[in-house]
Amino acid sequence: MKKLHTFDEVFDSQKTFRAILEAMANPGRRVSAAEAAGKLYGEKPAMLAAAMTLLDNSVCFCCPGDRALEEQIHLLTHSAAADLSRADYLFVTSPSRLPEAVSAAKCGTLENPHLSATLIIADSREGEEDAVLFGPGIAGRMHVPISRTAAEAVRLRDARRDEYPEGIDLLLLSPDGTFYCIPRLVKREEA
Amino acid sequence: MNDNYNYAFLDEGSKREIRRSVLKAVAIPGYQVPFGSRELPIGRGWGTGGIQLTLSLIGPEDTLKVIDQGSDESVNAVNIKKFVKMCTGVPCTTRTQDATIIQTRHRVPEIPLRNDQILVLQVPTPEPLRIVEPKEEVTKKMHAEMDYAGIWLQLYESLVKYGKVTIGSEYPCTVENRYIMNPSPIPKFDNPKLHEAECLYLFGAGREKKIYAVPPHTRVVSLAFDDVPFEKEDFTGKKCRLCGSTDTYLDEIYDSATGERYYQCSDTSYCKEVRSR
Repeated sequence: MKKLHTFDEVFDSQKTFRAILEAMANPGRRVSAAEAAGKLYGEKPAMLAAAMTLLDNSVCFCCPGDRALEEQIHLLTHSAAADLSRADYLFVTSPSRLPEAVSAAKCGTLENPHLSATLIIADSREGEEDAVLFGPGIAGRMHVPISRTAAEAVRLRDARRDEYPEGIDLLLLSPDGTFYCIPRLVKREEA
Repeated sequence: MNDNYNYAFLDEGSKREIRRSVLKAVAIPGYQVPFGSRELPIGRGWGTGGIQLTLSLIGPEDTLKVIDQGSDESVNAVNIKKFVKMCTGVPCTTRTQDATIIQTRHRVPEIPLRNDQILVLQVPTPEPLRIVEPKEEVTKKMHAEMDYAGIWLQLYESLVKYGKVTIGSEYPCTVENRYIMNPSPIPKFDNPKLHEAECLYLFGAGREKKIYAVPPHTRVVSLAFDDVPFEKEDFTGKKCRLCGSTDTYLDEIYDSATGERYYQCSDTSYCKEVRSR
């Protein structure tokens, strides 16, 4: 039997999860899932590694404008594709789709804020500029180079003016398999 | 390692669900994320929440430490260690510094934890408002509306009745100025260790099916009034009878034959380390 990939559902999932957990608990810290992503295929193997780690048939996802990725994720995880506003996980591969994805993503409710979306955004790291992030997980203030795409994602998220604990969490994933997270409570200091 | 089970006992679907809940818990510090608590070969209420967290986190590169009331050698700690080792093969340690995952019941180790360490706490009653409101549906709404008057009133009543706040463990605290959280039955002595810590704290309540978290560098403030500050246990004038420490949390041991009272460190691994210096 020839397998399409060598990603191990047990051990590579565990490793990738720990990397995501480290990134979520330490916002702005760049961590790597490159090794696990290298075991997958296609044009966006790091996205597939995140999907393999977090998705299954009890959650739903959306890949706005990326039918090929949607099919691959569904094939690998059995997770169902859903509308932007219903999806638990949004895989945004094109910056042009960012405004509609961020504005439509569900933010949970005051009683159930965990029923909110996590956005996994392809970040080409173009146009990186220095930004200052602060919030839980960060000791004081942290200087982080953030790309145009990441800056736009944070701007669009802030424009939603979600009332905490409602909100959305961002995971910025670069083509080299490295990524960092900006959870809902982490803010960017105004220049 | 026993190969008859999946790695880390739980099936991958269960681990994924717990992992998703953990990430939400970290993103919303202090909020109790519901999860589908699984059956384990240990009765609920014996640390199943903590075990499920540990099993979902652990990998071949980890080193595990398990403590119960500060002790590495208690029945609960030894059996949890044996169980996790049987289904993962990871090395276990008693040295706090060597562990990457520390599962604990009722204590935070004396040695400050690092950023690369995760402390998993077993929680019997995750809901701090349960004492003032028995219905889950209502407490969820109270958290949503930040309706914490009941718990403040409870502290006030304690002050009026006894002249001081009489809560010994499970002393409630506010996380990031939003959620009131039960820090699990750790003594008040350990509450300040949650504030702006280096490590990640994960709390698992298996019977109550809740997971919550305190990420590193998060503000955790124990409830107190402006004119009645928070006070932790005071061990002034007492020291550990074994290692002589005066700055640790001490257990009181009463000898009924002689009527004498002794004190010794609750954190046994710390105590041993001090003695070996």
